[in-house]
Amino acid sequence: MLKDFVKNIGYDDPLEIYLSKLEKLLGSEYGISKRAVSLLLLQEDEEIFELVKKNEGDKIGVISAIIREANSHYSNPLSYIISERRQGEASRITNSVMSVKEKGLFNFKETLSRLMMNPFIGGPILLAVMYYGLYKFVGNFGAGVLVDFIEKRIFDAHINPFMVDLVNRYLPYELLRDLLAGQYGIITLGARYAFAIILPIVATFFFAFAIIEDTGYLPRLAMLIDQLFKKIGLSGRAVIPLVLGLGCSTMATMVTRTLPTKRERIIATLLLSLAIPCSAQMGVILALLQNKPLGLLIWLGVIIGVFLFVGYLASKIMPGELPSFYMEIPPLRLPQLSNILRKTGSRLKWYLFEVLPLFIFASVLIWLGQITGVFGFLVKALEHPVRWIGLPAQSSVAFLFGFFRRDYGAAGLYDLKTAGLLSGNQLVVACVTLTLFLPCVAQLLMNIKERGIGVGIIMSTFILFFSFSVGYFVNLVLILSGINL
Amino acid sequence: MTTKPSRPAVALTTLGSGGKGNIAYLQTKNKAQMQKLLSIGAIPGVHITLMQKFPSYVFKIGHSQFAVDKELAQGIFVRVPVPK
Repeated sequence: MLKDFVKNIGYDDPLEIYLSKLEKLLGSEYGISKRAVSLLLLQEDEEIFELVKKNEGDKIGVISAIIREANSHYSNPLSYIISERRQGEASRITNSVMSVKEKGLFNFKETLSRLMMNPFIGGPILLAVMYYGLYKFVGNFGAGVLVDFIEKRIFDAHINPFMVDLVNRYLPYELLRDLLAGQYGIITLGARYAFAIILPIVATFFFAFAIIEDTGYLPRLAMLIDQLFKKIGLSGRAVIPLVLGLGCSTMATMVTRTLPTKRERIIATLLLSLAIPCSAQMGVILALLQNKPLGLLIWLGVIIGVFLFVGYLASKIMPGELPSFYMEIPPLRLPQLSNILRKTGSRLKWYLFEVLPLFIFASVLIWLGQITGVFGFLVKALEHPVRWIGLPAQSSVAFLFGFFRRDYGAAGLYDLKTAGLLSGNQLVVACVTLTLFLPCVAQLLMNIKERGIGVGIIMSTFILFFSFSVGYFVNLVLILSGINL
Repeated sequence: MTTKPSRPAVALTTLGSGGKGNIAYLQTKNKAQMQKLLSIGAIPGVHITLMQKFPSYVFKIGHSQFAVDKELAQGIFVRVPVPK
């Protein structure tokens, strides 16, 4: 049995004496040996302390006293003393059985790893990863080729006409016909957006992200960007949820749990809600600004500016522990296709289960809003701020949609552009405002779930006013500088 | 065990990149920082190689590489062996 081979690591005398005292005091079963529990107690593990407190009742006073006394014998924390002793034992064992071969002079993986972490070469590598991974693969292939194919060849050509025909033939009620296959119907709008526009974009993004993740590139990026992120109250570690946010900010908000402090989690959630466009939204924005490279550049500049500015302000305002950065840099690996497919698949499954019901829900809400007139009222109310930032009143529909799903909003603008209702300047202002505007319903709910209702509401109110203010400002600057895009 | 001749311990941040030594002790502002260093295996006695200093500190302990910020790196004190 394994047990026969297990030998305890011996510690020096005072520590062993306190350990045996603790072991004798422990009465309950913990599933691990009493020695292990005692060692954790001496290392001041909070979780185990709470457990022992619950199980041992009155004895906790004596136990705490022993821990204090043991600590007073050493100038360093006991966790330090214990780690040191374990390290010594581990080295002794490995040294007796392992020999290390000297590596050759040139090692491709190591060289590439160093280039990725080089502050001067790392930047261009990041740009290349963004350009090919995001712009070319997700933007051009996912949002362009795949969306075109599924939307035009499958939905517009087959599914939508078929459903409209079916509904018209068998459903005698106008209201129900609208709900299923009307302009904003569950099938004609909800399912079409979910499967034809969003799914291909999100799928290509998750695929690209899984490749990047599996190579071990992200910790290297985190290490490069840490100093910049410290200025906005985050550590390099936050680069992982933020990059994931470029795919789906809702999922990324859930991933902010991996950040160590509450302060970092709140700042990351705010930036994800405000300044990180998700892949669905980005896909449509890239399509909107397709022939306007200067417009795209202005959009990018404003969004990055807002990201840094708001992050900087938040880090000045928010109280709490300053972030610290430490991360393992794993060896670079060639990703395995089977792993990538599995990861992409499980993320897509999450996305479909989480999002498809919301699409249907949003369609129902829009339908309800329309028959009750609430929708019309809200569209009218939004026309004011929309005109204020120099856009035609019709675009307020896109903004209202934007709240139900951010990408609905962007796709709504796409329809306006196709109809020739937006000038170049208006297009850029609309894209900027919509990117910053309130997150989609799913993300709003996730914000509240992860950060609490108070923080969720304060954030949303701030974002509502801030996004239109930035839109107003961009419009003003464009007019004053006489730029016509 | 024989002790090798060595210089007094210095902060890891004072080494140049490529510098090597054994960790002598850790000295951090608070317990949380020490816990972070211990968790990545920066423990007295282990051999450490500093690989890079900017924009973050990257070092090698055993077969693993780690990146830490300056604040944490300042807490690691190493003893650099005297060259033969």
